[in-house]
Amino acid sequence: MIRLEGIDVRLGQFALRDVSFEIPPAGYGLLIGPTGSGKTSVLEAIAGHSPLGRGRILLHGKDVTAVPPEHRGVGVVYQQNNLFPHLSVAENIRYGLAHGDLSVADQKARVGELADSLGLGHILERGVANLSGGEAQRVGLARALAPRPSVLLLDEPFASLDPATRFALRQQLLDLHRREGVTTLQVTHDFQEALQLGNLVAVMSEGRIVQHGRPEEVFRHPNSSFVARFIGAANVIEGIVTRVGDAEGADRQFAARFSAGSVTLDVIADREGLLNAVIHPEDIVLNHRPTGGSARNQLPATVTAVELAGPVTYIHLDAGYPLRAAVTSASAESMGLAPGVSLFATVKATAIRLV
Amino acid sequence: MPKLPLTHGPRMTMPFRPPDRSHLILAFLGAILVAFVAGPLLYLLLRAEPGSLRQAFTDRELMASISLTLLAATAATLLGALLGVPLAYLLAGRPFPGRTLIQGLVELPIVIPHPVAGIALLLFLGRHSAVGGALGKIGLEFVSHVPGIVAAMLFVSVPILVSGSRVAFAGIDPHLARAARSLGDSPGRCFRRVTLPLASRGILAAVSLAWARAVSEFGAIVILTYNPKVTSVLIFDRFTSFGLEAAIVPAIVLLLIALAMFGLIRFLQPSIPQ
Repeated sequence: MIRLEGIDVRLGQFALRDVSFEIPPAGYGLLIGPTGSGKTSVLEAIAGHSPLGRGRILLHGKDVTAVPPEHRGVGVVYQQNNLFPHLSVAENIRYGLAHGDLSVADQKARVGELADSLGLGHILERGVANLSGGEAQRVGLARALAPRPSVLLLDEPFASLDPATRFALRQQLLDLHRREGVTTLQVTHDFQEALQLGNLVAVMSEGRIVQHGRPEEVFRHPNSSFVARFIGAANVIEGIVTRVGDAEGADRQFAARFSAGSVTLDVIADREGLLNAVIHPEDIVLNHRPTGGSARNQLPATVTAVELAGPVTYIHLDAGYPLRAAVTSASAESMGLAPGVSLFATVKATAIRLV
Repeated sequence: MPKLPLTHGPRMTMPFRPPDRSHLILAFLGAILVAFVAGPLLYLLLRAEPGSLRQAFTDRELMASISLTLLAATAATLLGALLGVPLAYLLAGRPFPGRTLIQGLVELPIVIPHPVAGIALLLFLGRHSAVGGALGKIGLEFVSHVPGIVAAMLFVSVPILVSGSRVAFAGIDPHLARAARSLGDSPGRCFRRVTLPLASRGILAAVSLAWARAVSEFGAIVILTYNPKVTSVLIFDRFTSFGLEAAIVPAIVLLLIALAMFGLIRFLQPSIPQ
């Protein structure tokens, strides 16, 4: 378990402020945020490399705030320059085993076990200078896991890898995480990675956690235009909300009108004024003709670009405001969606989230 | 059969291209400077007559001066390394109050004319100064004694030793030390297992360069300790007392020592970009 309780860290001009979150035992958490938001600084604080100005860090219930790095039982994998250049692959992996009471034979067995899991058996005696990016990260991962840490910290371990290697390493990492049961926190700027790997995601901006929760939850319900834009999950439109109906129900929501330039949308709101409308691409329905039914917002639009993304195709639209809709690639083909095609984009009032 | 590429791995072979006019001008200017440096040294080496080097081995005063030079330079370098490498490690690490000032102070001897350094050392370590007087009472005499030679050599070689070692430490990615700490190393153990092995080549190069600087020192030594004579002072003494011819053989011997040292330094330098 990793638990951060309101930590502050000052690093020159930059500061982490009031960072709190918890990853359950054997959980897999992801810290995401733009460059310079403080993700790596959080890892450094957990590893014990940056003194805290305030707050506490607990690992598996034990307060380690004042414990030096070598006694925290934390394994760390950095993005690059990760390996000891004067040691071989095997010596790198064995590095952290020299402190324990393992016999040399047991150390070798542990190195062999991890090398087998990560496909490193054939390069154990090599130097690390000429390893590929994927091999180097596998060695870094094996080295971090060798002493059986209770917590694993990964600082953008896939960032410099090609997509195929990234995919393979991600699978190996998931397998190892399951097998070793080590509580893991990974830094990434890729929300897709968070959706695939983690069971908790914390979004950072300017040294603070701005939202955390289950990845699907954050994806569906971003709590700010920043989160919605950063995770790239939704269309975010800034506009003015004005009330048109009476407040109803326990949450006092009311029917309202959202206006942004030439776009006007019927929405359900709980407050008026300047807000952001968040519309997920998959909540936009495309038709060649206007449709009836309960959907209230129907916008005439023109296709500006078609972006194939595997089984899903993103349709970029001009509806008086740039919008991105998601349809299955089969639908895109059968509907003949191509730049210049005119159609109607429909979105339910209840699918528009105001933040 | 498919042709193998002519180049492989990280080392690329650039195809030869005839130099253009601007490069020829640059090469000409550079050649003048290279000739200016290499010319006198080659000229000196060519003045070595057959048998003159053999004769050098029987010149007891010259042999004694070479032994003294090598021993004093080694002592100065070892002392400098003992005191300077830890300082270089501190200077390469996290900023602390006064770091820039200390760095400036240890680099100061580079810009101080060596006779000025000699005068300053003479005043500071002479029998009439507080420091020199106190050290004299415990039997450590500097003026006209071997410790004076060591002190002068140390003074002029400190900047090379500390700066070179500091660059060697600063070149190590801080992630490596952090990784080692997280893998269970105490700060001292991390220094022994990671930092020192990675910096050792750069430190060795700095130490060698400092040693070579100590061997070649003249200006500060001649003021502090004319006798016993190191080789550079002996060359000066022979030149002023007996003329140019008498100075050539000792000069060649010192040049050969310097060249051997230079070869070793080039070999030790971490990597010179091609």
